Amino acid sequence: MKMLMKGTEAIAEAAIRAGCRLYFGYPITPQSELTEYMAKRMPEVKGTFLQSESEVATVNMLYGAACTGRKVMTSTSSPGFSLMQEGISYMAGAELPAIFINVMRGGPGLGDIQPSQSDYFQSTKGGGHGDYRMIVLAPHTLQEATNMMKEAFDLAFKYRMLVTILVDGMIGQMMEPVELPEWTKPEEFEEPNWALTGANGRKPRKVTSFDLDPYELEKMNLRYQETYKKVSQNEVKYEEFKIEDAEITVVAYGTMARIVKTVIDYARKSGIKVGLFRPITLWPFPYERLSEISKNVKNILTVEMSYGQMVEDVKLAVEEKSDVHFYGRSAGVVPTPAEILDAIKKIVR
Amino acid sequence: MFGSGKTELSLNTAIFLKNIRSHVALADIDIISPYFRSRDERSFLEEMKIKMVTVPERYMHADLPIIPPEVGGYISNPEFLTVIDVGGNEDGATVLGSLKNFIDKVKKSVFFVVNVFRPFSTTKEEIISNITKISMAGRIKIDYLVNNSNVGSETKFDDIKMGEEILTEVSEMTNIPVAFTSVDENIDYEGKLPVFKIKRFLKNNW
Repeated sequence: MKMLMKGTEAIAEAAIRAGCRLYFGYPITPQSELTEYMAKRMPEVKGTFLQSESEVATVNMLYGAACTGRKVMTSTSSPGFSLMQEGISYMAGAELPAIFINVMRGGPGLGDIQPSQSDYFQSTKGGGHGDYRMIVLAPHTLQEATNMMKEAFDLAFKYRMLVTILVDGMIGQMMEPVELPEWTKPEEFEEPNWALTGANGRKPRKVTSFDLDPYELEKMNLRYQETYKKVSQNEVKYEEFKIEDAEITVVAYGTMARIVKTVIDYARKSGIKVGLFRPITLWPFPYERLSEISKNVKNILTVEMSYGQMVEDVKLAVEEKSDVHFYGRSAGVVPTPAEILDAIKKIVR
Repeated sequence: MFGSGKTELSLNTAIFLKNIRSHVALADIDIISPYFRSRDERSFLEEMKIKMVTVPERYMHADLPIIPPEVGGYISNPEFLTVIDVGGNEDGATVLGSLKNFIDKVKKSVFFVVNVFRPFSTTKEEIISNITKISMAGRIKIDYLVNNSNVGSETKFDDIKMGEEILTEVSEMTNIPVAFTSVDENIDYEGKLPVFKIKRFLKNNW
């Protein structure tokens, strides 16, 4: 049975069904419904919901809880995600699996509560310090976000990495029919062999992000890099939409990709063949596939609710094989289909 | 309840009432929802000469719980038929409770909108528990239930019917009558309850 859900609610329920029983968070618009949903729902499933005093506390609660090898998560919006960056870096260094939901809003600074995609750099290039990466997934519908939760936990545990689900306020706030996923019972989940669960009767284990010996720390770093390489090779995901005959391919993710799909219908009716390349993993970014595509299309237009962040990765992939253009609005302003169509017409006509 | 369709119904009710009364106001006291609020339709309502009572324009996008003082004035003004769009859940209803001094003095009907396809609203037990909590927070007696059961763009006849059945049972247990079933204008529906066709305002243009 389908339910009518908000993005934030659908993500929360899907996380619970994926076996998450530990949620720590602090409310911030436009994701507060996720925190509120967890507050109501966790006691019903015998999980733990804890509202922290700040996002700095949240991320450290997550750090501690993740050490026990359980499925843990938090959710926040841009300024809160900034506050979490120090802890994220520590967790990445300690190779801990955890899920972060960032429902982006306008910035920089306090910004506003309207949707934005301006945390691309922060999420994909590392907002915290050190040579670390986190897997960044960008759903463009509520159903996709819902289906992604189990996969996010699986990836986090498979690679012992942090996973961020990066959505904008629109996906967080809009309501759509959602088919909720099947339940994964927490007891079906095998405890990882590194989890700190009490050393009674076995050798103590250690979860840490540092070593005082630079050569040992380098070894740890090289291990992280090895993991990141594997993820880049195996976990890249993207969607191609009507690109076979496209004279211009738009690259967009999240809500923007959704709007572009509507634009493609309009454009094709007026004789302009537009396609969409939609990265689903923002990190690892689909460089290779986009590079191939750029060999066969003259123009590539990146559209973002930012003033140009993902476009830098697009340029790295395209390497001047085609012309890369950019259209973006930010600070909480969502580009309309008509604006994007105009941007396309300016390039192809 | 949160996300049950109160704003869509408030907008449609105000427009419906405008056809039969000359002075209609819509007071948006929803401090819960950051997006998709009745105040976002202000210009459309004002074109229809429906008075929109909401936060001052410059605070439209502020993440602050602002209730303008004229809400009380419009509730008290006998020349106006005022529709109040209350925010969801107990937190939203608390604002209604704060207006008790005004509301108690006037003729009013309180409608409790239910969509059985929303979380925490799917069973009669959950719905009855919500009615209790919300009428306590709102310091008000619920006069009518409204069946607004839908799954957005994928709503089918049987979904609406299922909502009617659950609400009818709730009604029998609580002695609160179901006033009507509200249905998207593009769906043909006839059930046991009166049908109020609604136009959807709160959607994206893509």
